Amino acid sequence: MRHLRTLLRLAWGGAWRRPLQSLFFIVGVSIGVAMIIAIDLANSSANRAFTISTDAVVGRATHQIVGGPNGVDESVYLQIRRELGYRKSAPIVEGYVKVKSLGGQPMRLLGVDSFAERPFREELGTAKIAGLNQKSFSTFIAEPNTVLIGANVSDEYRIAIGESLEIQVGSYHHKLRIVDVIASEDRRIRRSLKDLLVTDIATAQEVFAKIGKLDRIDLILPDDPSNSEALERIESVLPPGARIENPDARRGAVIEMTKAFRLNLTALSLLALVVGMFLIYNTVSFSVIQRRPVIGRLRAIGMTRREVFAMILAEATVLGIAGALLGVGLGIALSRGAIGMVTTSINDLFFISNVRELDISLPTLLKGGLFGIAAAAIGALIPAYEATRVSPVSTLQRSAIESRTRRSLRWISVAGVAALVFGAGTLLPEWHLGLTFLGVLAVLVGMALLTPVFMRGFATLAGTRWLRQKLSILVNMAVRDIDRALSRTSTAVAALMIAVSVIVGVSVMIGSFRMTVERWLTDLLGADIFVSPPAIANSQMAARLDPYALKLFETFPGISQVATARSVEVDAKGMGRITLSAITLDIAGDKRHYKSAVGDHAETWDAFQAGGVIVNEPLANRYKRSLGDTIALLTDKGEIPFEIVGVAYDYDVRPGVMMSDAVYRSYWDDPHLSSAALFVQPGVDVDEKIGELKSALAGKLDLIIRSNRALRANALGVFDRTFSIFVALQMLAAVVAFIGVLSALMSLQLERTREIGTLRSIGITRGQLSRLTFLETGLMGAIAGLIAMPTGLVLATILIYIINLRSFGWTLQMQLQPSQFTLAFVVALISALLASIYPARRMGQMQPADVLRTE
Amino acid sequence: MLGNNSAHKPLIRICGLRKIYREGDQHHIVLDGITEEFYGGEFVCLHGKSGSGKSTLLNLIAGIDAPSDGDILIQTPDGEIALNRLTERERTLFRRDHIGFVFQFFNLIPTLTVIENVTLPLNLMGRRDAHKSAASLLDAVGLGARTDTYPDKLSGGEQQRVAIARALVHNPRFLLADEPTGNLDAETGESVLSLLLRLSRVADKTLVMATHATEIAEQADRVFHMDGGKLNLHKG
Repeated sequence: MRHLRTLLRLAWGGAWRRPLQSLFFIVGVSIGVAMIIAIDLANSSANRAFTISTDAVVGRATHQIVGGPNGVDESVYLQIRRELGYRKSAPIVEGYVKVKSLGGQPMRLLGVDSFAERPFREELGTAKIAGLNQKSFSTFIAEPNTVLIGANVSDEYRIAIGESLEIQVGSYHHKLRIVDVIASEDRRIRRSLKDLLVTDIATAQEVFAKIGKLDRIDLILPDDPSNSEALERIESVLPPGARIENPDARRGAVIEMTKAFRLNLTALSLLALVVGMFLIYNTVSFSVIQRRPVIGRLRAIGMTRREVFAMILAEATVLGIAGALLGVGLGIALSRGAIGMVTTSINDLFFISNVRELDISLPTLLKGGLFGIAAAAIGALIPAYEATRVSPVSTLQRSAIESRTRRSLRWISVAGVAALVFGAGTLLPEWHLGLTFLGVLAVLVGMALLTPVFMRGFATLAGTRWLRQKLSILVNMAVRDIDRALSRTSTAVAALMIAVSVIVGVSVMIGSFRMTVERWLTDLLGADIFVSPPAIANSQMAARLDPYALKLFETFPGISQVATARSVEVDAKGMGRITLSAITLDIAGDKRHYKSAVGDHAETWDAFQAGGVIVNEPLANRYKRSLGDTIALLTDKGEIPFEIVGVAYDYDVRPGVMMSDAVYRSYWDDPHLSSAALFVQPGVDVDEKIGELKSALAGKLDLIIRSNRALRANALGVFDRTFSIFVALQMLAAVVAFIGVLSALMSLQLERTREIGTLRSIGITRGQLSRLTFLETGLMGAIAGLIAMPTGLVLATILIYIINLRSFGWTLQMQLQPSQFTLAFVVALISALLASIYPARRMGQMQPADVLRTE
Repeated sequence: MLGNNSAHKPLIRICGLRKIYREGDQHHIVLDGITEEFYGGEFVCLHGKSGSGKSTLLNLIAGIDAPSDGDILIQTPDGEIALNRLTERERTLFRRDHIGFVFQFFNLIPTLTVIENVTLPLNLMGRRDAHKSAASLLDAVGLGARTDTYPDKLSGGEQQRVAIARALVHNPRFLLADEPTGNLDAETGESVLSLLLRLSRVADKTLVMATHATEIAEQADRVFHMDGGKLNLHKG
């Protein structure tokens, strides 16, 4: 563009003349950008933290031999190293421990064989073990319960060599003495050392009660044709329950688990920008309308339509860039909060993730910024086009724009219906989740496009002669003011409507979800008391329950029945790692709700005990398994198919399978238990009994003993924590909508200064003027609230029956509460009224003479 | 005329009225100590070029602007009141009750129909007889058949006639008109002016009109020329 500088100067001048509106524009874009960046940074930081910590412990291993829940026998390692001669092999025993002296945070305890380590994790310092000064080395090898920690951890917590760390694994406590610190120049390694403790394998076996067992055997196999031969040789000596896998694939599978969760967050993070686009459209629209005489003059002196278009677009882009820059900073600030919320959810639902650092990646910042600038430019496209229609001879009248809006109302509505149809078309077939979100967006846009026609309908109704005569002059004026500026008021109403409908949709979904889960938990937790070893995170498979506890429970007075469960992760063919619960008794009894089952509760239980398995709904939905299908699990006796005898409703994010304890023990060499559920005799006070059990175990065993009520409260606590970030995101989108309404009102008032001056000169008081403004905005808020109710209901339906089902495989029961809808209406109304306070004040302060003079 | 009016008490008394606009460090004196009296039922014309302060004086008399100095005293049935000493709300209510304003650009409310525009001052006062009074005034200005029309469907002359009806509907004590024909062609302007004069005379209203059209001045009882912030009597 030849006159780019001139155009930019004109664009800047346009933005500068309306500072408050420009500021709203910038703030709207910046919040949208900030939300995208915050969520993206939180997601990527959590992933990166997981990858870095996993990478560090995987080291240069090309393959890993892993076993079932009880690990791989040590003899397998010896066979591979000694008999097959694979010297590049290393045994590993690892797990998470809670370290009291390190703020109670989870640390990964890596048990290594110092002599086998060198090729694998040299940079981690494990190889350095062999090179430690002779005294340290002998101590590390010879003395049990010794540990190495990262130099940065040592510095941070001021813990020196020679001191001891008190660690906890389930019910058990250990003391590990620090014999040396590991320092590294590599930033990634330093980060991974922040949540790593290295110990000798024998110590790790003792800490994790895996004597004679290994969690995995790391291998470095040559990347040449001999590789497949080596794999075959190794596989030939593996026991049935063990297999070789690729560490990358395994890590990928773990991250994959969180994909739906992250996608849901990302989708919601885009919401503010979508709402922000309405604000942008409005601001640019007003700017064009206000400047039409200037545009007309510019056209008259030779500015082409294309240049006018470029000028308006440049103005939006300049503001968009300012918003994006601000949004990047705000996003980084917000991500510090978001990362905590995301990490909590990941720890609660998926796996232990110890995110200590925010990974500010340039591509994420660029992406967020570009999204903001693109949104600004897209939002400005239509008004920029409008500007090109300004005729050089007679500047386009405000009313002409409105007339055109009215004429095109039919087409806008047709486009709205088309968007709804497109949305339905995208939502109904089960396509990629991303496309499903596109469908949700289409539905929202469709309803937004129908907003002007709804508003016209409302104005027509209020404009009937009968009603007109019944209503006061101020109400009549308010209705008609809204209708007259439909092209602008409808955008503000649509933005508010979308934000409020999302509030309705998400709150109905969360409310329904919560109630469904609460009922499900009430039915499921049939026992009176639940006992489990302390877990580091809710997502962690329960540690080992000491057999002493079980013996105690079985003979404890007042306890009528004890049910036990063993919860482990197993490999299922075509599904990766799934959770397996082996139970002695279905504590839910006939209250367990099946989506489908081979018969009634008794028949299903019989089939279950006979070797069938009950899968949870997330598994059935994700892997398309139904009643009668089989699921192949890798047992210690090889891969065994199990028939599905029931599909149970379940609200875990992970696919899971339940089998009879007896069946489990017959296929897996695993003597341990994870948790117990106790039934008390009739008339026994549960809380009292819990007190007695705690007293009996005090000083002997550290166990979590709680009533079913407390367990349910804990589960619901996880639920609430998980959704807190969703609520925070929707609130931010509502803030943008609020700014949108405020900006629109400000612009509407600016546009009406002459009218206000006239009204003041013929005797309207400030109070009446304020009432008029409040009436207008109140009506706009009320209309937004009214349209938001059905839109929110549609959104809730989509979220409940489509998004949740496809994301996580959950069937939820919709629970509609009038209060949610009333609240949404009130939110819309109050937002609009609040947004009108400042414009009303400004209008009241206008001196009629000044207004009439400047006009 | 003036001779007749001078026998009455003045309706409006302006004493040492000054209006100064500040623009940065610059002071722009628009009205420089004007003292004058206007009487009931007279037609006063303020004549002068653009920027001479005609509109400012009208705005001050209407109470929609405040003077920098001086007093504007208005005779009401309850006695004389100093407009410039009233609060903002009192001035608004005074305006609503006692003043009819006709603007150059008509300034009708675009969202209201013709009848609603005319009834607006009465509605704001909470008067119940609004519709009847407005309808008869619209008949008087020749727009009785266009009551439900919106302003943007009317010609300039028609809009100004609606504005005149609106200015008279609440039976104000005086009418202020700021270039009421300035935005109309000569023929339409003339017909609007004669309508305004006729109605104001019939209702015995004081009419203070700002204009730079000399032909209008000919019909006025008194004509003042405004220049350099001063008011100089030209005719009367």
